[in-house]
Amino acid sequence: MEMEGGSSLGSGGAVQPISFPSWRQRVFYKFTQQNLSACKPALSPTLVITLFLLMGIAFVPVGLICLRASENVEEFVVRYDIECIPENYRGNKVAYIKDETISKRCTLSIKMLNHMKAPIYVYYELDNYYQNHRRYVKSRSDKQLLHGLQLNDISSCLPVESHNGLPVVPCGLIAWSFFNDTFTFHRKALNLSVNRKNISWKSDRDHKFGKDVYPFNFQNDTLVGGGKLDPSIPLNEQEDLIVWMRVAALPKFRKLYGIIEEDLDADELLTVHLMNNYNTYSFGGKKNLVLTTSNWLGGKNSFLGISYIATGCCSILASILFALIHVKNPRPQREPSCSVWSRKSSSR
Amino acid sequence: MSVHWDRYRATAGPGDGDCLSLKGSSFRDGGLRQIASQTVRLGRLQPQHPGHRTIFCNDREANLLVRFKGNSVSTTKYNIFTFLPKGLFEQFRRVANLYFLMISILSTTPISPVHPITNVVPLSLVLLVSLVKEAFEDWKRLQSDMAINNTPVEVLQDQRWETIPWKKLQVGDIVRVKQDSFFPADLLFLASTNPDGICYIETSNLDGETNLKIRKALERTWDYMLPEKASKLKGEIQCEQPNNSLYTFTGNLIIDDQILPVSPNQLLLRGCSLRNSDYIVGAIIFTGHETKVMMNSMNVPSKRSTLERKLDKLILALFVALFFMCLIGAIGSGVFISRKYFYLGLTGHVEEQFNPSNRFVVSILTMFTLLTLYSTIIPISLYVSIEMIKFIQCAQFINKDLHMYHAESNTPALARTSNLNEELGQVEYIFSDKTGTLTRNLMEFFKCSIGGEVYGTRVTEIERGIAQRNGVKIDETRSATVIQEKGFNFDDPRLMCGAWRNERNPEICMEFFRCLAVCHTVLPEGGESPEKITYQAASPDEAALVTAAKNFGFFFYRRTPTSIMVRESNIEDMGNVQDATYEILNVLEFNSTRKRQSVVCRYPNGRLVLYCKGADIVIYERLAVDASDNIKNLTREHLEQFGSAGLRTLCLAYRELSIEFYDKWNEKFIQAKSSLCDREKKLDEVAELVEKDLILIGCTAIEDKLQDGVPLCIETLSRAGIKIWVLTGDKMETAINIAYACSLINNSMKQFIISSETDAIREVEDNRGDPVQTARVIKNSVRQDLDRYLQEAQLLLRSTDGPRLALVIDGKCLMHALDPSLRVSLLKLSLNCSSVVCCRVSPLQKAQVTSLVKKGARKITLSIGDGANDVSMIQAAHVGVGMSGLEGMQAVMASDFAIAQFRFLTDLLLVHGRWSYLRLCKVITYFFYKNLTFTLTQFWFTFQTGFSGQRFYDDWFQSLYNVIFTALPVIIVGLFDKDVSALISKKYPELYKEGIRNMFFKWRVVAIWAFFSVYQSLVIYNITLVSSQNGHNSSGKIFGQWNVSTMAFTCVVVTVNLRLLMACNSITKWHHMSVWGSILAWFVFIFIYSGIMTPWDRNRKMYILLFVLMSTFYFYVSLFLIPVVALLGDFVFQGVQRLLFPYDYQIVQEMHRHDIEESRSDLLEVGNHMTPDEARSFALARLPREQSKHTGFAFDSPGFESFFASQQGIFAPQKPWDVVRRASAKSKHKRSKA
Repeated sequence: MEMEGGSSLGSGGAVQPISFPSWRQRVFYKFTQQNLSACKPALSPTLVITLFLLMGIAFVPVGLICLRASENVEEFVVRYDIECIPENYRGNKVAYIKDETISKRCTLSIKMLNHMKAPIYVYYELDNYYQNHRRYVKSRSDKQLLHGLQLNDISSCLPVESHNGLPVVPCGLIAWSFFNDTFTFHRKALNLSVNRKNISWKSDRDHKFGKDVYPFNFQNDTLVGGGKLDPSIPLNEQEDLIVWMRVAALPKFRKLYGIIEEDLDADELLTVHLMNNYNTYSFGGKKNLVLTTSNWLGGKNSFLGISYIATGCCSILASILFALIHVKNPRPQREPSCSVWSRKSSSR
Repeated sequence: MSVHWDRYRATAGPGDGDCLSLKGSSFRDGGLRQIASQTVRLGRLQPQHPGHRTIFCNDREANLLVRFKGNSVSTTKYNIFTFLPKGLFEQFRRVANLYFLMISILSTTPISPVHPITNVVPLSLVLLVSLVKEAFEDWKRLQSDMAINNTPVEVLQDQRWETIPWKKLQVGDIVRVKQDSFFPADLLFLASTNPDGICYIETSNLDGETNLKIRKALERTWDYMLPEKASKLKGEIQCEQPNNSLYTFTGNLIIDDQILPVSPNQLLLRGCSLRNSDYIVGAIIFTGHETKVMMNSMNVPSKRSTLERKLDKLILALFVALFFMCLIGAIGSGVFISRKYFYLGLTGHVEEQFNPSNRFVVSILTMFTLLTLYSTIIPISLYVSIEMIKFIQCAQFINKDLHMYHAESNTPALARTSNLNEELGQVEYIFSDKTGTLTRNLMEFFKCSIGGEVYGTRVTEIERGIAQRNGVKIDETRSATVIQEKGFNFDDPRLMCGAWRNERNPEICMEFFRCLAVCHTVLPEGGESPEKITYQAASPDEAALVTAAKNFGFFFYRRTPTSIMVRESNIEDMGNVQDATYEILNVLEFNSTRKRQSVVCRYPNGRLVLYCKGADIVIYERLAVDASDNIKNLTREHLEQFGSAGLRTLCLAYRELSIEFYDKWNEKFIQAKSSLCDREKKLDEVAELVEKDLILIGCTAIEDKLQDGVPLCIETLSRAGIKIWVLTGDKMETAINIAYACSLINNSMKQFIISSETDAIREVEDNRGDPVQTARVIKNSVRQDLDRYLQEAQLLLRSTDGPRLALVIDGKCLMHALDPSLRVSLLKLSLNCSSVVCCRVSPLQKAQVTSLVKKGARKITLSIGDGANDVSMIQAAHVGVGMSGLEGMQAVMASDFAIAQFRFLTDLLLVHGRWSYLRLCKVITYFFYKNLTFTLTQFWFTFQTGFSGQRFYDDWFQSLYNVIFTALPVIIVGLFDKDVSALISKKYPELYKEGIRNMFFKWRVVAIWAFFSVYQSLVIYNITLVSSQNGHNSSGKIFGQWNVSTMAFTCVVVTVNLRLLMACNSITKWHHMSVWGSILAWFVFIFIYSGIMTPWDRNRKMYILLFVLMSTFYFYVSLFLIPVVALLGDFVFQGVQRLLFPYDYQIVQEMHRHDIEESRSDLLEVGNHMTPDEARSFALARLPREQSKHTGFAFDSPGFESFFASQQGIFAPQKPWDVVRRASAKSKHKRSKA
């Protein structure tokens, strides 16, 4: 019965014949007696100095490699949102961009600084554009992009979910505000071909955009946000849209426009004909055109390399500082007299 | 029906309140008249007088009317239907859980940026863990309830004993209970197989005492033994309504119009068990939940540790931080929102949250949005984790520590509550009882003074200590007559072997020995020869005295209810033995107010004598005036002498009674004894009438030995910065000497003594006798003393190497010093003293002193004691420690921790307490840090999203962050982290001071963690985002938001887990497994999560994402860089801190860095070479620990004079019943051997 044992603590303490403790019992015994073997990483000055030094030695070369990789990348950025507005409209850019009667054609001439090796990636870069705004991010329907009109529940696409009682494909603000500036490149009057294929993630094309989903009822409203889509091409081939729909993390972002598969020489003159359709003027967003090459680390990105080098240098500096402190002002080790309590008690 | 009504009228109490004074038939008539007018209105609603209940024995139908409760009990908290609602309710009483519930509800609304699962998953996991724990505990309770309810018992039905389960019993049933079984309900004891209607019961389930107590049935009912006879019993029992007072009971048994008063002596309580009697017959009075035991099983409000209360403040601070973060975001969102961002579609109809025309509403709603987004800042799993850690610390570490296992009494340490572990690491004041705590409570008859002559040649340890201090050497010679026996350590050839007859005054010697042999409540056991007999006594003092009598030739060998038999030798001639029977007429019991015990006995020759023994004060007050002053003064001198030797003294006295006087007095005594109201008080008053004009015989001195290792332990603890106060009921000299003996006070200390034994006070007391005047004089003198000492103390403290201070104060002065006007100076003075001795204090004063320091000085206090008189002190302190193993268990039942020896305090505080404190601090600050870091990355992202409240991380990342990716390592640290080994902890007790100063959970420490949390979140967020802006693989494709956030989350998980590894003082393989396991868990999760797409998947944004990410160099380069940069700050800080501002433990670590990892006990390191003792203790450590079984009987507040009861002015009565103890250690031994 339950109550039997309650009276004495030790009734279970009857001695049993001891068998040799098994491994498990030993471990458990060590556990209950808090005797587990452990290493004790005490941050002694020597250890700190060594660790810092090692870290510096490891980091600086990595940083140099990254920096060199980044230096090897040629990048050319040209801002065109101001230049592409005629002088007389500079005072009212919004009116210019909204007026559909005015041609938005614009021509830029670029003088290459360095030789650029193919493939050369063409990006457009927007600034102050909050693709990551909550209202914007959620205004899409991944299922509709994959399944098209079969899907009826597109409430997530508000406020651009339907028009005239018919659903919009692709629905949502992201698609609706589709970027629609276009760029064509000329080199000595010859057309420089820009490969617009294979600019989106393959996984997006294969798994996120339906191959038999066609744009429908798109941009039919009185308010047109951005570019239109060819209703005869399925969504998984509308690569510009696919790129656009992968929302950026920051308000300043680049999106891939195409790939130039020819080398460009230094001092070469390049003419860019562009259609400056997209309205960034109402919110003061910048538009840049970027030409860049790439290597194993990706595009031009000196930040990582500099970070590595800076960290490595800091480490080495720290190790020197520690060494100086340690040498100039060594705390006597193994001597209880410097213990805090003895200092305190003597002061008392 | 009408019959019952008549009965009711006849028996319902008189209208005059609770006190029934029964005067035969006159009462019945009065009762009838008074109640008759009411019965009509009452109907059958409540035919019971509210103050009393009437039970018809053996008549179920009659009792049916009243609807007494059944006998089945349920101690479960929940049943199937209430489990969920009630269990959830309990859980949601925690603020963090409630907060998360609210957030979860909020996140189902459209304003939430996160899916409800973000908050629901962690909440439900936390709730699940807690509920499973609750359910498991409740299930065990249910099982034990069922076992108890289905225990068979024999009940009288149709003149036969029928066996039925307990739960079917009803009030009024007659039951038969066999030996060693438990009483199924509160019973009225009717008959027993023992002669004289006596039975012995064990009450360990009630109060933990394993001694036996006697119950005696009313003579009138002795013959209701057999079923045929018992079925004829048609009695009525009138008694009080069910209540929780274990030691009181008033009622009457009415048989054939005869009213018999019933007292606790006839009450057998549920939960007790029958011993030493074949069986007993009883009538059920209270059943089930109405039994006294069950009425007592209320929960003591559990203590919360100081650290946890500080944690609440931290959580509050987090809430404030959360509020400000939300506020910043909300204001930002109101400023940001504008129609110029055409791509946000803000023209036309826009929901309120984004409507630029009403920015205020936007701000308010965004506030709620952000609240759900930042909810991770509150560490929801913190409380559950802490509970688990503490539980394991208690169950596995404290309870199983071999260093706190006392092999002799086979008692391990016991943590009775698991929420005070870390409090043990911060104790600054220890309040200790003396007897049984510092001393062994092993009483030995040591010396005596008979008729003004001192006998006994032994020297106490304290005397030896004093002599050593004075440079005198004591040689002790042992005579041939010495007898060594437990309880007897006396040597004097003048008394032994009948030699006393040659002393100057043999008559008085004989009275002395008779008094020892007769005046007691000891019960002999074992056999009637001097060698075999063992004495069961209420206190070891009594047993020692009776043993002494035996050795002097007055061998008490048998007790009957009315007499004591003594084999007296050497009375007339040497070697002559004769048996004498002394008839015991009255026993006036000992209690703490009376401080004396008397017995009226009749000699075989008819001589009537009252023998009395008690405290010197009370005896001296009652001595006859004309008695020789010489003996009085001599004895007083001897008393002081004994006291200063650390001995416990008792005065013995006697008085001859004339038959006329006795008869008159006895009448009053019987009246008082049968009164139902204030019985104790009346008995005390009657006792006063006869305990006067006493003649002093002499006094006894008993040695109370110090426990092993006490001086060392006290020295260690005081080196650890702990101040030890001894609170004792002993005399000042004894107390001071004990304090010297256990090195609490030494000669280099400056002593301040505040005593009421000064001449001035004594003069006032003697002459005026006016209590008010006396009180004023004492108070004034106490005030003067306090002021003077305080000035002196401050002066001494200002000088650099002044002496340490000690304060000694006695109870009377303490009473005045605790007065509100003097309390402050008392506190100031006593806080400056490194040791304080309070002597002659009552249990209430012990508690008052404890709470003075606890509340007044806001220091963390620990009380340690062994007896019922320490219960109030134990409950009043932050941490209560009880001494387990030897005597009664009241103190243990009220305590939070129980240890067997005082010296185990070193391990409990310096090892377990310190580690627990360090670990808990680490766990809490780390929890704080990891949640803050994670939430801050989210916060920084808010700035880049137009304050829209867009979430940075995927819902599942956020919801699993706390419960999976960072859950386990911190628990491992809470269990295994240790800065220095246990041996070093004890070698350098000064390390403990860091806990007292709360070095590891100061706001400064929290601020440092917070600072690095901000730094790390900035590093992680910015480096990830800045470096992710350009294309990152050779095809020039750009990452989207979800790629970047997955990258950032990976960095957070890695950084936070590595940071934990950096915080560890010792790293076991469990640390590695948990830390790397958690990081691995994240990768496994994300591989599966982004690799598998199910048809019902909410969104496809995560698909393949990780594989894309991991196919870039960027991923690896950043993953290597970011945690390193993030942790660089911490690393530098730790290095600088260690180099320039080291903590004490770090210095000690360095001193012992190159030591071989010494294990605390090497028994296992040598494999199977174990000594039997070690093997035994090892076996014990391995045994599955016997759980403290829940029986439904245990209750945590003993009915003893509780501090809280007396605070509320509730009178807690003393135990009235006759106590016969069996030394608990003994009985335990026997049982474990059996």
